[in-house]
Amino acid sequence: MTNDTERTRRFNELAEAYSTDLYRYAMWICSNDALAKDLVQETFLRAWRALDSLKDVGAAKSWLITILRREYARTFERKVPKFTDVDKVVIVEDDELEPDERTERVLLRQGIMKLEPKYRDPLLLQVVFGHSCSEISEQLGISKSAVMTQLFRAREKLKTQIQKDGVTGNVHELF
Amino acid sequence: MSMNFSEFKKLLGADPWNRDPETLRARNSAPEFEAVAVDAEAFEEKLQAALNVQPPSGLLNDIKGITQQPAQSRNWMPLALAASVLIAIGAVGMAWKQSNQWDSVEEYLADHYSHDGPGLVARATDTVDEQLVIQIMASLDASMGQQLAGNLKFIKFCPTPEGRGAHMVVSTDQGPMTIIFMPKTQVTDGTVITFDQMQALMVSLEHGSAAIIGTQTQTIESLEAVLRESIKTGLVGA
Repeated sequence: MTNDTERTRRFNELAEAYSTDLYRYAMWICSNDALAKDLVQETFLRAWRALDSLKDVGAAKSWLITILRREYARTFERKVPKFTDVDKVVIVEDDELEPDERTERVLLRQGIMKLEPKYRDPLLLQVVFGHSCSEISEQLGISKSAVMTQLFRAREKLKTQIQKDGVTGNVHELF
Repeated sequence: MSMNFSEFKKLLGADPWNRDPETLRARNSAPEFEAVAVDAEAFEEKLQAALNVQPPSGLLNDIKGITQQPAQSRNWMPLALAASVLIAIGAVGMAWKQSNQWDSVEEYLADHYSHDGPGLVARATDTVDEQLVIQIMASLDASMGQQLAGNLKFIKFCPTPEGRGAHMVVSTDQGPMTIIFMPKTQVTDGTVITFDQMQALMVSLEHGSAAIIGTQTQTIESLEAVLRESIKTGLVGA
């Protein structure tokens, strides 16, 4: 197997393993489906160029997330992306959801979009990528106790949001 | 010392799937602890489902197509460049050939631009590596003169109605404009279409075509002459 073939194989394995989760992560941090797709493509383009520097396959996920976060930071510095209406994004839906459950999911999505980045980022790393608190700490460069506090508060905010909007009927504004 | 109820709630609020022995002991210590744990897991499943956004179709294939682009860390020699041209030309019509999902070029342009055009314009502020421009254009059986290449802020492969093309963002004195190069697609020269507050001018080239896309306040025709002079097509008569 030539070096190029091997390199392509490694890259394709990374793409197959992480592209979906990276897209989900990108979508929720930038709230823009077109930009999310672009961010993921740019992430993999940079990864392709720098693939030889990735010595530890076990570190690939964090490496890709770091590339994507840097790329997003650069993008966001230039221009605030236009937010997507979350309902326009294709979501994997369970058709058997009861109306109340569907409403709750919409509220949850709206709540996630409203979360401040300091709460949203660790939550996404944990839920989308399955990162442990220690891994999030390392990825974000903050202490583990700070990560745990932010994760707890993120969930509390989401629960509060659902209760508040659910009770006041604000969900109707979302459809 | 065992975990109290408040500590337990906070721990699960941060890490709902925590299965440390101490956490499990606390969970089994009293019904209210168990109830909190069950609630936390139920919420987590809802959260997981809410975040489950489906990627656009074709994303994985687009990413895999990146391997046809040069690696920056490599020292590209002229022979390697020539080889990559041959490989890339061979690849056209294979990996990037899409089923013709648009009824017209106009529909394709509106659909393609609305998909990622604004995002690319927003991000296109860096100077593009000259070697990358040469590589991409060469693999599309074309070349680009410095007058246009020198003002490029972004370039990548993109799907077109008939195979692979290039999506570019150009810096102009009227702000950024987008060029979609479609090496295998014929257009009616000079046609202007509008969509989503944008306008596109179609330019027929010796082989294939290009579209200049800008806002409706920009004079997109101002880029036409430069485009015609700069993009040379059909270099190897493919």
